Amino acid sequence: MDFAETDEHVMLRGAVRAIAASYGHRYYADQTRRGEKAEALWAAIAEPGFLGVHLPEAYGGGGGGVTELAIVCEEVAAQGCPLLLILVSAAICAEVVARFGTPDQRQRWLPGLAAGEKMVFAITEPDAGSNTHRLATNARLDGDVYRLHGTKTFISGVDEAAAVLVVARTGLDDAGRAQLSLLVVDTDAPGLEKTPIPIEIASPEKQYLLHFDDVEVPADRLIGDEGEGLRQVFFGLNPERIMGACISAGIGRYALAKASAYATDRVVWDVPIGAHQGVAHPLAMCKVELELARLMIAKAAWLHDHDGDPSAAGEAANMAKYAAGEAGLHCLDTAIQTHGGNGLASEYGLADLWGLARLLRIAPVSREMILNFVAQQSLGLPRSY
Amino acid sequence: MNIAVCVKQIPDPAVPGELDPESHTLHRVGKLILDESDSFGVEMALQLADKAGGGDVTLISMAPNNEVSGLRTALAMGAAKAVLVSDPALAGSDALSTAKVLAQAITRAGDVDLVLTATESTDGYTGTVPNQIAQLLGWPSLTFAKHVEVEDGKLTIRRQTEAGYDVVESSLPAVVSVTAGVVEPRYPSFKGIMAAKNKPVDQCTVADLGLSSDDVGWSGARQEITNVAAAPAREAGEKVEDDGSAHERIVAFLEALKVI
Repeated sequence: MDFAETDEHVMLRGAVRAIAASYGHRYYADQTRRGEKAEALWAAIAEPGFLGVHLPEAYGGGGGGVTELAIVCEEVAAQGCPLLLILVSAAICAEVVARFGTPDQRQRWLPGLAAGEKMVFAITEPDAGSNTHRLATNARLDGDVYRLHGTKTFISGVDEAAAVLVVARTGLDDAGRAQLSLLVVDTDAPGLEKTPIPIEIASPEKQYLLHFDDVEVPADRLIGDEGEGLRQVFFGLNPERIMGACISAGIGRYALAKASAYATDRVVWDVPIGAHQGVAHPLAMCKVELELARLMIAKAAWLHDHDGDPSAAGEAANMAKYAAGEAGLHCLDTAIQTHGGNGLASEYGLADLWGLARLLRIAPVSREMILNFVAQQSLGLPRSY
Repeated sequence: MNIAVCVKQIPDPAVPGELDPESHTLHRVGKLILDESDSFGVEMALQLADKAGGGDVTLISMAPNNEVSGLRTALAMGAAKAVLVSDPALAGSDALSTAKVLAQAITRAGDVDLVLTATESTDGYTGTVPNQIAQLLGWPSLTFAKHVEVEDGKLTIRRQTEAGYDVVESSLPAVVSVTAGVVEPRYPSFKGIMAAKNKPVDQCTVADLGLSSDDVGWSGARQEITNVAAAPAREAGEKVEDDGSAHERIVAFLEALKVI
């Protein structure tokens, strides 16, 4: 067993850190406040190939795995620039296209994705959140096109992407349950209406409500097999969960670094406040929780990359997502507390990350659904739903 | 055009350095990193080789314990190979011994048209090694370049001065020390990082270079560090009460600093 990062991983981490640090949280917060995107940072990360590290070399990727993408995702967030679309575009969409796309489809989308083009992902619906069997958006084959109808909600970054991977029902199985399929839809397709959802998260990426009104999707945009969408999506959900965990862990590292620096510098009575155990111990506890979560992230990514038992990777990815979601928010909250009133001042760059850190306990999968999964899959407890 | 770049692998400057209490030399144990000031030379070399339509960029380094971590960073940026001199006999080497070793290593690297170095290392600061290498090789030495061009076998640099820059020309081969900012060093790409592991590093000893252990290290050193003292604490600034003429004092102060 070897817990040491390889020289390549250390170098990758260092390079990503240097790029992201040259932008830093101030850039991220300023772009957000101005209603602009983090395009320049995204491009700077994409340029050396860091957003395609996990994709096959034949399609312009780096030939690595989710382990490498996790390093990229965490390191950017740890510099105060959590990029949600790494999770959506690089983790889910690119992984699904790479795994289930035909050679033509891979050639069509992967080189662009490896170079930093974005594809976003639409699964959640107003009446179907965690229960994917209730997805109502449907696609009906009509000659050589699918006709798409329905509504999707909380879809990140639609305004930044040329295409969206949509999960839609294409039929029913014998038990009357929805059979799901995956379609790549152009974001400027006629009949697709995009409405921003006002949301209390200070990030450059925006959330959208999508309404598909008889949107024509060429049949060659079906990824993988018709009716196999759910199984295929589950393959992409492990990387998604791992990246969600990485964003949380990155925010946690960022917050603890700021809190440690502040508590070492700030003197209220005779010694720096970090010498007081009332300040130091909560930060130390956060550090323990954070490092435990990061270990599980590394394990989950390793299991996913080593293509062994998919349920083992799923279990680890869920646990990593849970642990990092809790730890990231705990680190941020404790860092804010350490800063006293300054913790809420924009200048200190902490409180504006709260919305995203808080979201990551809910999405991409809620902590309650993870606990259900662990209770049933890991402990063998009976299910209630 | 084949270019050799001298690169030093140093302790991470972000970590407070420690001096050996006996020899007063820097503790260089543990992992070393590429001296950031050398990344400019590496980038310059890559751009010059690219512009010349080909040729290898070879790294030249001397480091304890066969250390390659810093070399891997420069190999990941795009250098083709490295010569690393590592030998216990080198401990305690002064600047001239270091230059002798590097000059021999450059010769070992083979057909070299141009040598690039930084102006000085971040952990040693002697700033003498580039000139010494040039002297030992018998090649022209061009220093403090903030711009480097090679056209039809002729080398032209802009040498930074207080007032602006001098244009200096030379034939090849030559040794050029480049300033930080001569070019913007690239970040290694993921493919570069993965490829670096398999690039050749020619590891050699003092004997391999045809040098005697007596000429290097403690025994060959012509300098001795007799004492080390802490830098004086920063003195308090000057307070100016404004009686209507404070701006003149400020202007005089800035003029003395040569910032205006």
